Amino acid sequence: MGDSGTLLAFKAGRAFRREGTNFVDPSPAKGAILLRKEDDLLHLMWKNRTSNEVEEDLILFPSDATFLKVSQAPGRVYVLKFSSSNQRHFFWMQDASSARDEEFVNNVNGFLMDPDYEASWGSSSQPSTSTSTAGASQSSAPSNFQATPEQLAQLQQLLTSAVGSGAPPHSDVSLNDILTPANITPLFTSHPDLIPTLFPHLPPDLPMPPSPEVLQRIISSPQFRSAVSSFDQALRTGLLGGLVRGLGLPEEAGTGIEPFLRAIQSQAESERGEDSMDTD
Amino acid sequence: MSGDDDSNGWQLTESDPGVFSELLKTLGVPLIVDDLYSLDSESLASLQPLHALIFLFKWVSTSSDSMSGNYDPEFPGFFAHQVVNNACATLAVLNALGNIPALKSGSQLTQLLEFTNGMDPQTRGLVITSSDWLREAHNSLSPPSAISLDGLGLPKQTEDAYHFVVYLPFMGSLYELDGLKPHAVRHGSYNETGEGWLSRAREVIENRIATYPPGALDFSLLALREDPLPLIQAELAELQAAGKQAEAAGLVVKLESETSKRNRWNFENSLRRHNHVGLVHSLLVSLAKAGKLESAKERAKGIMKERVSKAKSKGEVMDES
Repeated sequence: MGDSGTLLAFKAGRAFRREGTNFVDPSPAKGAILLRKEDDLLHLMWKNRTSNEVEEDLILFPSDATFLKVSQAPGRVYVLKFSSSNQRHFFWMQDASSARDEEFVNNVNGFLMDPDYEASWGSSSQPSTSTSTAGASQSSAPSNFQATPEQLAQLQQLLTSAVGSGAPPHSDVSLNDILTPANITPLFTSHPDLIPTLFPHLPPDLPMPPSPEVLQRIISSPQFRSAVSSFDQALRTGLLGGLVRGLGLPEEAGTGIEPFLRAIQSQAESERGEDSMDTD
Repeated sequence: MSGDDDSNGWQLTESDPGVFSELLKTLGVPLIVDDLYSLDSESLASLQPLHALIFLFKWVSTSSDSMSGNYDPEFPGFFAHQVVNNACATLAVLNALGNIPALKSGSQLTQLLEFTNGMDPQTRGLVITSSDWLREAHNSLSPPSAISLDGLGLPKQTEDAYHFVVYLPFMGSLYELDGLKPHAVRHGSYNETGEGWLSRAREVIENRIATYPPGALDFSLLALREDPLPLIQAELAELQAAGKQAEAAGLVVKLESETSKRNRWNFENSLRRHNHVGLVHSLLVSLAKAGKLESAKERAKGIMKERVSKAKSKGEVMDES
């Protein structure tokens, strides 16, 4: 997936609700909000402009989310709200000028309502889909902005330079759906010889000796499932090259779930060749 | 400023009785934490002697938390503010432990509590959360950062964190200790007869829950109680020595259930501490060696497709954090 999927990008940082209160504190990290369309799904991503990493990636379904100004907060704080859940994600505008805040917000809301929306730029008469931005400050706009598409392209390039042509952050397959008890349990029966090869990877301080039953318990445990999720998410960033080398895999395997699975397939095949195991 | 740097090395832990009980063990305190599924007299009675209730919640609505009880700036007990993120569970435990009279505890904890004597809540919070050994004890049960997800800047899970409030008796009154409030909150005196402080605590907690609109509050309750195991064992030995086998049988059942709970805690805690990447990798290699990886992957793709379309039709957001 190239950059053609990016619909919109602007400088924005994240803000976090102070735990247990209604205070929202802006985080100083420089970032940008990107709206991208991937596999027909609309993604709202937050990318750190210092590290160039996508730190937040949300899939949004039509008319579920709205991007609103937080009128209680001083400054240019916005919240992404969902009608289907109580999640909140806070952001703050980081462009030096607030002149185009409203324009970006209107376009974000346009895409949130309908992913096929056509962004509209440079017209301040654009009807606002977000009522609370009506009175947004238009203070001292240094209107030295160049043509919008060029500027966006430039920003995009800046944002994607590090990760570059890396794998898309979303995969159409999840490790959690592969490492299910339903997939693993039959393996223990059909290939009992594989079981002892797994034992060295179990926690060293288990209160019982390792056994096929213990393995099954671990695989069904919430702790293991959540470890698989974390690893799955980490793989999706495409940045695990260094880590997978430690597993005897080529760096390429750390660029996404599919490359990881492909590398494992060939690792297994070469190991099977060496062992000349007579499996089916 | 809030955000990633405000945790000062404190990691998010699971709010699970097994995690709390392990922490208490590390602190050298003869107490455990159990889930509390109901505030009815029978449930509470079965957990006696009970020292404190921990009310943990995630409030979902944006409406502000209404206040009941009265601030007690003169609270003579132990109260510390929560000054860093993610420390809330351990801080709540300390706010409880610091107010249990004649509590036996390990020397490190005893020294820490003594050291903070007479400090204001903010300073106390700072001193506690800058204690390296305490932070290590707290972090020891959070998933290992061997994958170093931190460096990858994945969405942080702090937003999902629970807020912890302790209710406990102190000098004849029921107190609420909430590290995010300026002072301890006094909820009046309680009657020593009958259920004592617990009946007042039930009232206060039930009222509190009722102030939130239905569905706006995600909460659970934990009980900080005396470790029943030594008591059961001593009693059992006594009964068996006296040849009272029938009475002993009932205790054996109790003992077995306590023991199996601890085995489960130990098992889960060892899974919490472990880095599972090696197991994930060798399970996948095993699947591949058995010629089953490709088919499993195809099925998983189907599941994902279905999940996305289901979520779409329900209008839900797939939040992967």
